[in-house]
Amino acid sequence: MNIVPLTLYACALVAYAWHFAQRNSVVGRSATTLLVAAALSHTFVIGMQTMEVGHVPVAGATSAISTFVWLLALSYLYVEMTTDERAMGVFILPLLVALQTIPALRPGVEDRAAVLQGPLFGVHVSSLLFAYASFALACVIGITYVLLFKEIKAKHLGFFYARLPSLQVLDRMNQRAIVIGWIFLTIGMIVGAIWAAQARGGYAGDPRVQAISLEDPKIFVAVLCWFVYSFELFAARRIGWGGRRAAYLSALGFLIVLFNFVPITYFFTKSHNF
Amino acid sequence: MHLLLVGISHRTAPVELRERIDFQARGIAEALQSLASRGSTREAVVVSTCNRAEVYVACDEANATRNDLVRFVSEFNGVSSSDIAPHVYGVTDLDVARHLFRVAGGLDSLVMGEPQILGQVKDAHTIASETRSSGPVLNRLFHSSFAVGKRVRTETGLGSGAVSVSYAAVALARKIFGDLGGRSVAVVGAGEMGKLTALHMKSQAVRHVTIVSRTMAHAARTAEAIGGASAAPWEELDGVLSASDIVITATGAARPILTKAHIEAVMRPRRNRPLFIIDIAMPRDVEAAAGEIEQVFLYNIDDLQATVRENLARRASEVTRAEAIVNEEVEKFGGWFRSRGAIPTVVALRERFDAIRRSELERLDFKLSALPPEARARVDEITHLIVEKLLLTPTEQLKSLDNSEAVSTYTEALTRLFALTNQPGDEQSDRDRAAKGGRVEPFKRPTGRR
Repeated sequence: MNIVPLTLYACALVAYAWHFAQRNSVVGRSATTLLVAAALSHTFVIGMQTMEVGHVPVAGATSAISTFVWLLALSYLYVEMTTDERAMGVFILPLLVALQTIPALRPGVEDRAAVLQGPLFGVHVSSLLFAYASFALACVIGITYVLLFKEIKAKHLGFFYARLPSLQVLDRMNQRAIVIGWIFLTIGMIVGAIWAAQARGGYAGDPRVQAISLEDPKIFVAVLCWFVYSFELFAARRIGWGGRRAAYLSALGFLIVLFNFVPITYFFTKSHNF
Repeated sequence: MHLLLVGISHRTAPVELRERIDFQARGIAEALQSLASRGSTREAVVVSTCNRAEVYVACDEANATRNDLVRFVSEFNGVSSSDIAPHVYGVTDLDVARHLFRVAGGLDSLVMGEPQILGQVKDAHTIASETRSSGPVLNRLFHSSFAVGKRVRTETGLGSGAVSVSYAAVALARKIFGDLGGRSVAVVGAGEMGKLTALHMKSQAVRHVTIVSRTMAHAARTAEAIGGASAAPWEELDGVLSASDIVITATGAARPILTKAHIEAVMRPRRNRPLFIIDIAMPRDVEAAAGEIEQVFLYNIDDLQATVRENLARRASEVTRAEAIVNEEVEKFGGWFRSRGAIPTVVALRERFDAIRRSELERLDFKLSALPPEARARVDEITHLIVEKLLLTPTEQLKSLDNSEAVSTYTEALTRLFALTNQPGDEQSDRDRAAKGGRVEPFKRPTGRR
């Protein structure tokens, strides 16, 4: 079922790319329409899965990715509609399409272990997914910032100069996305720690619960992420690391997030493979 | 009906002549009135800007009207015909449409793709429609030209990119800072160049402009001349630079007054807020190496000129796309314009049919005279409806013809088949009939025409 949103995301990607190259407003509106359609069909898919299994499908790695793509699409649409800026679409859509292929290739919802029932786990996963979506946006905005910055610095005002909003706007959007992401990352990690403490009491025999410690790759990298973004926020405010350095840091931070989200979840972690 | 355009522009006439032919100054409404009183035109619109003066008309006789329009232009502006004649261009029918569409799209402008012209064309049409001198043909023509202007602006890059140095500087500042509303500007040097640039920045509604000069009196005088700006002595230069977002340097110094090390020191308290330095001095005031500092954007006058040249080149490359839009729209307008060729025949055909109806009713009047008035009215109504029904399809078919060959074939055939004696062009009678509601009173009124 995940194939329908995937196809629509792919069509939207083509439309956004076309719009970016040609700057035709009709194509731009079609691109947004396609993305809205993709997000709606994705909502429907996730809704159906929720009805099927009786809970929001976020427990397994694959369904978490699907939900992440959905959240990112919605967050991007929110940014596009509030700023009236379509230029970022061409950067965010490839990520959506690439990630959405994973759930499209592995249909179905994984069973949820008994230990994962309860509200704390839901809060833990959903706030982290939302944080990651914000970081993805920050990364894309950061990349566009660097592209525009380089053009202006090199005194060659060309392709991106004509298509992107001002550096100031990009910097502000980047900072805002990181602040929101950092808040949810912090909430998600704290709630996760509380949940783990409770689970140790009830499900001490589960090897996955036992593996929950800072030495687990997934948890370790998440903490690393938290430090990277905390440093970024501190540096931007206190030592004037705004602009290009902040943009590079947000790209680096999201690379770590992505690494944690896909390969580590599937291959390395011992605690988060429910 | 023909379209006709007579005019002069920056392409054909020197500025001395363009200055003398100024409809704007003498009043466009008056010009339209005076033109209408000559009786050679049916509809007219006058487009007048500093780079062009053009009279667009719809008329019956293109050649005679062309000469009359040249006379009108010379008489109205008090310039002798012989002065104007060598510079005037005149085109007819669809070439008029092509010309106007290129004008509205900015393709005929001195600065290719400049956006003001579309507004000027719109204003010209507004005046003409307020004074009722434009009619169905020119209304259609001008509305199509607005569509061309809009399409060229949104679908091509013809109007994009600044094409003068000062606009290029402002456009760059906007790309760096977004809104310039809360920004502070420092101008170093109180000379003429610095003053002009400061004025330009001031017009962009920046928050504050500060003038710094080696001679405080100069700075104060310049600040006063600009109005709303403040002056600062040379010793406070660093403080002013630290507090500013945009710095314009325009001193006459022989050696750079701002070195890389100097600007690095200025950047520290700013916590790396971006600093945009525009060096318009010659020789340069700012060391080129200063541009390497993170968050410093340094542009000198050559850099700005280079971006202007790039923009002009980019505009030129968009011309083909804009011309394609013009062609498309001329084609569309042409279809409509040619279909209008059939209108006189349609009118004549309808009049012919109605004349037959009326004469038959008159002939049978004695047989119907016994009927009560309501019944007579009913007979009139029914016969009228029959005629209308019979003519409905042929009328629609004629109006949908969009190539002139088909129009003339049909016109000729109909003229012969129905012996349409009162021929083309007489739309006046059509209008009169329309004013009477297109209906005749029951029986026995004077038959208007045959």
